[in-house]
Amino acid sequence: MPAYKLTYFNARGRAEPIRLLFAAAGIKYEDVRIEGADWPALKPKTPMGHLPILEVDGATLCESTAIARFVAKRAGMVGKDDLEEAKADMIVDGVKEVFRKLLTMFFEKDESKKEELKKDVFEKTLPECLRSFGKLANPSGYFVGDSLSWADVEFYNLMEMVRPSFPGDLLKDNANLAKVIANVGGNPAIAKWIKERPESAF
Amino acid sequence: MPAYKLTYLNARGGAELIRLLFAADEIPYEDVRVDRDKWLELKPKTPMGQVPILEVDGHVICQSMTVVRFIAREAGLLGKTLLDQARADMLLEGGIDVGKLFEEMVMEKDASKKVEKKKEFGEKTLPPFLALYEGFAGDNGYFVGDSLTYFDIAFFNMMDFITAEFPSALDGYCNLTKVIRNVKSVPGIAKWLKERPVTDH
Repeated sequence: MPAYKLTYFNARGRAEPIRLLFAAAGIKYEDVRIEGADWPALKPKTPMGHLPILEVDGATLCESTAIARFVAKRAGMVGKDDLEEAKADMIVDGVKEVFRKLLTMFFEKDESKKEELKKDVFEKTLPECLRSFGKLANPSGYFVGDSLSWADVEFYNLMEMVRPSFPGDLLKDNANLAKVIANVGGNPAIAKWIKERPESAF
Repeated sequence: MPAYKLTYLNARGGAELIRLLFAADEIPYEDVRVDRDKWLELKPKTPMGQVPILEVDGHVICQSMTVVRFIAREAGLLGKTLLDQARADMLLEGGIDVGKLFEEMVMEKDASKKVEKKKEFGEKTLPPFLALYEGFAGDNGYFVGDSLTYFDIAFFNMMDFITAEFPSALDGYCNLTKVIRNVKSVPGIAKWLKERPVTDH
């Protein structure tokens, strides 16, 4: 049994999809959370100077999506053939595009520019994403086949990140996506993790 | 052998890595290039309103990196083990921000802003990136294990764009130079590089 050690800050941030996948797959791992003050000493020891990193089988991986894809493959949560894998990949790439826009918005210091970015996300980015994703999700509430894949988990995590800035029922006219959220949130292992995970601001 | 149809603009851009991967394994495909008007017509019919898209077996796949991984697998260039695949994946992800900054610089319409961006890219962004990746590349000229993977080709493609603006970027980087040489010497790739349509981007 390989030992997995995930290292990140004490936050959900870029590591949470990985933690959700470990939970869904029932894979045990060490969930290391470092303090900000300990980061400068660790940074030069990481492959590219950022977190999260995953240590497994004597190797150290970085880049949260690469790690998530690796864990999803190990967990058998990527789809059952290469076309399903591609569909899951496509959704995750789409999720990342929105995530990047959210981060740009979060980190913008100029207040008026921030408001502009926020307006753009709310009026353009999110609706367009939800519209395309709604067509790609199956009526059963899964992006790929009829069972939970990492695409569902990544989408669920994105909506968790979006909600504080854009409250309200963004999925009220999107039955398929609402079902994806229900399927992920209702997965017993994921529900347990969400209840028990450490509290953090983001 | 499934029929592959790749659709993009008449440019290298976000499709060229895919074309290089098809070429590497000499996989036949339809290389469809649409003009702006045709693109605007096609846009609402694509899964996420963007190109490139790949049509195969009645399915439509979008997101260029997804198509890259899909064809890389078909071409036997994804990586031999899950860890190798993750390593190639991580290297690809690690280069995305640098690629975006380069693209922003090239697309900058304001001439004086462009000069500023070029200086910033050439002096601040590129050198640490190349130094880091020189360390990742093996002295055999492969980034992952001891054989070609899609990331070697991705790195070649990225540098193909970058060296057009910074011709001596790879001077002094032995491992990276070997990677470029290994990729260029793949017969299918050498042939494609000679025959591909010449485009500005």
